[in-house]
Amino acid sequence: MGFLAPWFLAGMLAVGLPVFVHLLRKQTTVPRPVSSLMFFEQGTQSSTRHRRLRYLLLFALRTALVLLLALAFARPFFRHKTVVASDKLLLVAVDDSFSMNAADGGSTSFDEAKRGALQILTGKAAGQKAQVIALGGQMRLLTQPTADAGELRAAVESIASGDGHGTFGELGRGMRAMAETVHTPMELHLFSDMQESNMPGNFADMVMPGNVALVLHAVGAGKMPNWTVESVQAPGQLVDTKKARVIAVIAGHGTPAAARTVSLVVNGEVKATKKVDVPADGRASVAFEGLDVPYGESRCAVRIDSADGFAADDASNFAVKRADPERVLFVHQAADARSPLYFGAALAAAAQASFVLQAITPEQASDIDPTKYAFVVLSDVPAVPSILEHTLERNVEDGGSVLVATGMAESHGEHIPVYGGNVEAGHFYARGSAAEDAFATVGDVDASHPSMRDANGWQGTKFFYAAAVDAGKARVVAKLADGSPLLLDKQVGEGHVLLFASGFDNLTNDLPLSPAFVAFVDRTARYLSGEERVSGARVVDSFVQLHNPVKEGAGAASTGAAGAGATVDIVGPDGKRPLSLKEAAQAESFQLEHAGFYQIRFANGRDALIAVNPDRRESDLAAIPDDVLKLWSGSAGTTAPADEAAAAAEATDHISSLWWWVMLLVLTVAVAGSVLASRYLGTQREQP
Amino acid sequence: MLQRFLDPAVLHGISSLDLVAKTVVDGFVAGLHRSPEFGFSLEFAEYRAYSPGDDLRHVDWNLFARTERCYLKRYRGETNSQLTLLLDASNSMKYASGTVTKMDYARYMAASLMYLSLHNQHDPAGLIVFDDEVRNYIRPSTRQGQLYRLLAGLEQAEPAARTDFAKPMQHFQQFLNRRGIVLVISDFYEQPETIVKAIEPLRFHGSEVVLFHILDPKEIYPEMKGPAILVDLETDQRLEVIPDYVKTQYRAKMDDHMEQMKERTRAAGMGYHLLTTDKPLDRALTEYLSLRQAAWPGTGGRVRGGA
Repeated sequence: MGFLAPWFLAGMLAVGLPVFVHLLRKQTTVPRPVSSLMFFEQGTQSSTRHRRLRYLLLFALRTALVLLLALAFARPFFRHKTVVASDKLLLVAVDDSFSMNAADGGSTSFDEAKRGALQILTGKAAGQKAQVIALGGQMRLLTQPTADAGELRAAVESIASGDGHGTFGELGRGMRAMAETVHTPMELHLFSDMQESNMPGNFADMVMPGNVALVLHAVGAGKMPNWTVESVQAPGQLVDTKKARVIAVIAGHGTPAAARTVSLVVNGEVKATKKVDVPADGRASVAFEGLDVPYGESRCAVRIDSADGFAADDASNFAVKRADPERVLFVHQAADARSPLYFGAALAAAAQASFVLQAITPEQASDIDPTKYAFVVLSDVPAVPSILEHTLERNVEDGGSVLVATGMAESHGEHIPVYGGNVEAGHFYARGSAAEDAFATVGDVDASHPSMRDANGWQGTKFFYAAAVDAGKARVVAKLADGSPLLLDKQVGEGHVLLFASGFDNLTNDLPLSPAFVAFVDRTARYLSGEERVSGARVVDSFVQLHNPVKEGAGAASTGAAGAGATVDIVGPDGKRPLSLKEAAQAESFQLEHAGFYQIRFANGRDALIAVNPDRRESDLAAIPDDVLKLWSGSAGTTAPADEAAAAAEATDHISSLWWWVMLLVLTVAVAGSVLASRYLGTQREQP
Repeated sequence: MLQRFLDPAVLHGISSLDLVAKTVVDGFVAGLHRSPEFGFSLEFAEYRAYSPGDDLRHVDWNLFARTERCYLKRYRGETNSQLTLLLDASNSMKYASGTVTKMDYARYMAASLMYLSLHNQHDPAGLIVFDDEVRNYIRPSTRQGQLYRLLAGLEQAEPAARTDFAKPMQHFQQFLNRRGIVLVISDFYEQPETIVKAIEPLRFHGSEVVLFHILDPKEIYPEMKGPAILVDLETDQRLEVIPDYVKTQYRAKMDDHMEQMKERTRAAGMGYHLLTTDKPLDRALTEYLSLRQAAWPGTGGRVRGGA
């Protein structure tokens, strides 16, 4: 015990005041004279003692009041050693990735992880702050640092098993970001199945910062055999059901060689079943010829018989849309017969005959409605009727697509229709020259662009003519060797304009003669028609673009009814709409967080059924080797066991001020003294 | 209007006892003018032969002129209703809860009675001051200067000792050999039977004896807020007393004492009057005149011939 202002203790000398009032003044009481004591008698001792006792009690209260006041001003405190667990922030992270659904026996790894997390929170010291983290595809902080045990337990209870792909690299990055703002020691308890596939490519990504003590809690039975449908290759859109082919790859992780039954399910109905022998810890593919689906969108899946503890990955979803072939409008000069020939042949060979080319001249296209076509191709057209150009621009704004090939004719005029830019110059490369630079070759190719996904043969093509076009804000998908843009993708409103700075005939280049041209046309047709965006299967946590994030000023102003303010409608696998009205009108993209089928209606009115499957890396339940785990937890500088970690606390000197308590006592004594004094010193009423 | 001068608190502001007595009696008489019962002795009664020592003022000079003999003129009521005041001058008479002590009150009353007796009634008046002994004795007389002697005796009567009725009463018998009116003024802090036993012999000479019991109001209704130490003014004895006792038992004892005083004195043929120091003095004067009236009815006093 000590005093912050001990010199105020001198105020205790004021205790002499009540002593004077009660004791000294009492001695100077003047006796009262009376005529005679003839009729008086001595008062009884008991009564007098009682009265004196009340006096003494009042004296004691007044003395205590003075002493306590002096004590309060002296600011007393006491120093005590307490177990201060609150200095160390307790972090409880629960892995809710897809692999945590694996069950060994009755309960899943996820249930076991939640029980362990609750146990840690139960054992934490009172007053210690803690925070709950969910670790799936992303690291999510479910609470702020709080000592409220109820809130923390509720946060753990609220964690639901997810379908995402966990990554410890995300955890490492999150903790490093947190360490920049939280400088107190942190203790991170991670409950996970420690899946090896969750490790990032670089171990340094998952290293914890210096003030974080990592305590690993491995849940689950560790490595157990698991068969899964690793991948399904199926058309997103088909015209002829008999030509359709579904190829599924069945993989086994830590499994013995076994025969699995594979089923093709369409809209909940098993259409076909096959047996496949899967080698030990290997893969086997199975093909289903023909996909009998009705017109419209169908929910399909390839499923294997469940024979392991992880039944959730025994099926792989995919969506198929059956429709009549879509028409593609090909506008070309009347004199140009090669372009529609080559493009039409490539289109017919690819995309499973989902598109039919309709070739017309600009003069015939004046009253064409582009919305009736999957996309429009302007091949080597120097000038299109203004009505058509305006209609096309509106169509692109609303989500339509146009492929523009400049061709040689573009060199006669500067304006590129629909695209909006100008041809700066036409570059004729020397044809048939012996020199190596007599023709141009393709330099860089952006393979991430949907049109160039299978662009393996582009490097060998020769370009004899290319228009020099300013890229501006357009995305350069391919460049020639001299650096001039060859393929540009420009987003206008909700749609795209793809500009090919050469032609589709064999005069300006020899691409139409190359097999790469078929793949290019196939991918481009899928991309421009939107099939690429809305069909097929996706992986959990992938994104779907809903609105164009970048709208040019002029483009935004001319946006039609389907543009600004148009909402998208998303129905999740659980039948609920995950977006609010505001989000549906403004969200640029949407993350597919759950496995299943998403029904999406885009702003341009197109419907799409998207199948979402968990990342198949989650199916490999092999755990991280112990030495790596030790290295990981040791990298944070601690290997505290779980039981000790929960109760880990530091004994620290704490100073507790008693000022408020003393003042409370002063108040109580003052009130008691006042009551006693008023009762005692009150005027006694005389009997008449 | 003059009645207010009978208030002891007003009289306390008057330093001269002579003036006090004059004020009291004049005010009292003015208040009695409508009562013919209390006429004074202005009516002629008889002649008496002059004897040496008589006051020459009372000689009827007209008769002397006719007869050449000296006769004194006597009036009704100018009888031998000798007034003797016995004043208790013990220490207990010093007590006062207000401005007027019991001694002051007794002095005012005695002076007023003497003035009334000598000046208005022409009766001889005397004074005996006592405590545990006879401190002063002024024999009853109507001589010139008697009033001033009596007032001087009152002025000198300062409380000094304790009361003892038995001892001085033995001497009273010597002084009171003629019948008359005997007024005893005291606070009577003694057992009633002792008091009566000591005073009763005064009646044996045929005197009318009246006891004026002087008390302070706070002696009857004392106030005590808390336990206190009380000091006896006569014995200097100290006693711690609690309020509960004062409010209950003391009051009962005091009431019983006063009641016994009243009963025993009346049983002994004596008068008894309780006077508190906050009451006007007229009651004492009225009592005196009543006694005189009762003793000699029809004349306002009995005429006795001869000296």
